[in-house]
Amino acid sequence: MQSKLVKSLVYWLLLSPLMVVILFPFAVMFVTAVRPRDELFVFPPTWWFSEFRWENFAEMWVKTNFGQALFNSVYVSVLSTLLALVLSIPAAYALSRYRFPGKGAYRTFLLMTQMMSPIVLVLGLFRLMVALGMVNNLNSLVLTYAAFNMAFTIWMLQSYFNTIPRDLEEAAWIDGATHFASLRRIFLPLAVPAMAVTGIFSFINAWNEFVLALTMIRSSEDFTLPVQIYSQVAGRYQVEWHHVMAGTVLATVPVAIVFSWLQKYLIRGMALGAVK
Amino acid sequence: MIRAKRPALAVSLLALAALAGPAMAETTVDFTVAEYSSKTGPFFEEVAAAFEAENPDIKINIEVVPWDTLLQRLTTDIAGGTAPDISIIGTRWLLDFAEQGIAEPVDDYLTPEFKDTFIDTFMAPSVIDGKIMGLPVAASARAMIVNQDLFEKAGATPPENWDQLYEAAQKISALPDTYAFGLQGKEIETDAYFYYALWTFGGDILTADGMSGLDSPEAIEAATFYKKMLDEGLTQPSPTNYSREDVFNLFKQGTLGMIFTFPMLIPQLQAEAPDMNYKVLPFPEKAAKATYGVTDTLMLFADSDVKDEAWKFIEFAYGDEWRSKFDHGEGFLPVTKNVAAEEYYTTDKDIAGFAAGLPYAKFAPTIANWEEIADTTVRALQQIYLGQATPEAALTEAAGTINQIRGK
Amino acid sequence: MTSFSGLRPLAMILPGLFLAMFIIGYPVVDLAYTSLQEVSRFGKLQGYAGFANFAEVFADPLFWSSLTRTAIWTVCVVGGTMLISLPIAIILNDDFYGRGLARVIIMLPWAISLTMTAVVWRWTLNGRSGLLNATLMDIGVLAEPIEWLAEAQLAFTVEILVGILVSIPFTTTIFLGGLSSLPQESYEASMVDGATRWDQFVHITLPLMKPFINIAIVLNVIYVFNSLPIIWVMTEGGPANGTDILVTYLYKLAFRFGQLGKAAAISLIMFGVLLVFTILYVTLVTRGDRQPQEVADE
Repeated sequence: MQSKLVKSLVYWLLLSPLMVVILFPFAVMFVTAVRPRDELFVFPPTWWFSEFRWENFAEMWVKTNFGQALFNSVYVSVLSTLLALVLSIPAAYALSRYRFPGKGAYRTFLLMTQMMSPIVLVLGLFRLMVALGMVNNLNSLVLTYAAFNMAFTIWMLQSYFNTIPRDLEEAAWIDGATHFASLRRIFLPLAVPAMAVTGIFSFINAWNEFVLALTMIRSSEDFTLPVQIYSQVAGRYQVEWHHVMAGTVLATVPVAIVFSWLQKYLIRGMALGAVK
Repeated sequence: MIRAKRPALAVSLLALAALAGPAMAETTVDFTVAEYSSKTGPFFEEVAAAFEAENPDIKINIEVVPWDTLLQRLTTDIAGGTAPDISIIGTRWLLDFAEQGIAEPVDDYLTPEFKDTFIDTFMAPSVIDGKIMGLPVAASARAMIVNQDLFEKAGATPPENWDQLYEAAQKISALPDTYAFGLQGKEIETDAYFYYALWTFGGDILTADGMSGLDSPEAIEAATFYKKMLDEGLTQPSPTNYSREDVFNLFKQGTLGMIFTFPMLIPQLQAEAPDMNYKVLPFPEKAAKATYGVTDTLMLFADSDVKDEAWKFIEFAYGDEWRSKFDHGEGFLPVTKNVAAEEYYTTDKDIAGFAAGLPYAKFAPTIANWEEIADTTVRALQQIYLGQATPEAALTEAAGTINQIRGK
Repeated sequence: MTSFSGLRPLAMILPGLFLAMFIIGYPVVDLAYTSLQEVSRFGKLQGYAGFANFAEVFADPLFWSSLTRTAIWTVCVVGGTMLISLPIAIILNDDFYGRGLARVIIMLPWAISLTMTAVVWRWTLNGRSGLLNATLMDIGVLAEPIEWLAEAQLAFTVEILVGILVSIPFTTTIFLGGLSSLPQESYEASMVDGATRWDQFVHITLPLMKPFINIAIVLNVIYVFNSLPIIWVMTEGGPANGTDILVTYLYKLAFRFGQLGKAAAISLIMFGVLLVFTILYVTLVTRGDRQPQEVADE
């Protein structure tokens, strides 16, 4: 036990520089968000401030139309994740359970799309959405996010599905269950955790995406959170940093909590899926 | 009889349609409005409502777009065939629109009386190849603001020319924790901050033959002057980390003696530095008097099917009471003579300080690829401020690039 | 079950395939087409231009400096991330007091959008009012505030460091996944042989982790190569284009200057570079993947 205590101390000591750097911006965010406005620009700069102004959050909420942006982000992230899952689950199942012509080519295609980044294609995507009349429409983001996340979700799901023994399904067949019934009753319940973890990956990618949202969405009422916060900083006559930071805190904290709660599943996901 | 009935029915239907005509044949005019402030949208909705009350057969459809996405938005809409009928645009983009046949010349619509309501200075930038391609809709001019408290403390007098500015700057920068002159060095309008000096030193963005004026002796002299101020500690250090907003923040903190700015800073100053004793002054002179006039243009789209209706609305919206309300609400300088004659614009000392420069205001030239030219200029300025290149080398290279962009 | 070949699996992959073809395939084709056209300021194609757009790109010194900087950016960020993440993962894989908390903290940057991270750092690094200078001055490291983003070299270095910081969680997660799948027996056997921890690391951990390290490198290279927000938000590629990488330059060309033809050409060039990585990736994956796959198919 003694040695574990020593080891823990050493480890924490080793990790501490990085942790300081990681936590530093969070502290900055928080301290700026609760400052009175006239204490933002002081020289020399200081961590000290006279009072906690929680009203900053309420003011920010109204002034930056935060609720709308939050809704837009949730809308886009949830729908694109659902779409990606709905399309990925059968594809992953097919990859995991069947042999079919073109399977190898399909795998290569998936790998290729995983490599494609929205930024390289942003111009073409933009022209595509113009042609479809979907610029300035949140659904354009739903479609593109789903498409770009699919390679990843299919690969992860497939690797999970490989770990679900097929004997179970086969046993159900022998008992006279239809193919579909065995899928629904035996396979899907076992695959739920996999879908959840994959869904979270996809959700976070969509939640954090910036370039496409910046390009496709023009009117401020359709901005997602990253774009909304960026627009509070870029090219303004005046930047209300305390509002910007209040917005960042609100946009970050819920995700950070969910994330830290789920991180061990994510690591397990990596071990099984993402890497292949 | 049965046969006879049918045409009768058809006729009565037609008559019905004719009766309902005004409602059904309502024309819609799409109007894209740039969002100057939170007041912009409601203002234009109000104008539209008043107009629709007088003209029930025309509907005005207002779409408010934030400034930083306006050009992108119009570009997409034009490419996608969903362009509006009228739009507010930055005058600096007008040439691109005119060259591509997207803007409609308005000479035929513009009656002499209507034309006469505009201040000529503001009409000029909209004239391309002798044709009026749009109407000025908003204008502002730039000026210098000085912190008089600092001047008093340092025993300096607010400058009228660059030599005096230099002397005053030396005195002010001797004060503790104080910089004399705010120098903007990054992001939007970094180039404008240099044009102020360029013009007053007697140079220009483009020379008479259309070549870049950045390599002129005046331009080099102006840049050298800025660099000298920087090197001697008369400006805040590291201007390349100071955007327009950062420089203004320094001024609000009372750390800067002088800045070059726009009228929209006044309400911010009054709110955030209520005790500051400030004064609006013309830019310092050397070879010329100048200010930067910025106008926005109301443009009629060539592809519009409802030009006559759109024009009717434009004439309505330029009524004196609307113009006055708009200019007051947004803090702009008036573009029409009647509003400019209002007492407010001649007596309010802040506004008057900005308006004083109008007779000799310079405008960004209406040329194609303006954004890229501005970016080239900013790059050269940053190289100078960082000491990566001499003013002469950086500006000569920039002028070459600009001439190349312009195909000269 | 594998006897069920034919239409059923095809029907299962088809909807997803269709969406990917449409959203990813179409833009590629469109970009290729556009890059060979003369394009107006407003996106209207004005006729075949041959390779003029490409010629213009190659003649542009800013393209070459952005390309070089992209290489530096990618190598530094990915290299730094690898060097830091592997020891971290090894520590986090070991059992110690507070490991759960430590893992959560290390993963935190992943939970924030890159854009917001960059916005926060932009404010933190503010020369006169930023809290980094405040802290460094308080603890006596600095006497005078530093303008972190005023000069390209320093700004770029700072951006690389932020890039490393945000790449650590993802990479560490991959490594942790890898470490947790390593067979414990090898370690126990080597303990018996009296091997030191360093020997274990070099002779057991590193070789077994190799596929994970390879994948982490390739995935990170792709993410970092394409990463816009950090540089865009912090410096917009400035000052004097001194922190421009290909993506920021591409974005400016396309959406600020309206040089759509040239931007399409750069997109295609980047696409080509990525393709090389893809081939690398496919080779790595098929090599690393074969054995477990065979077992699973058994």
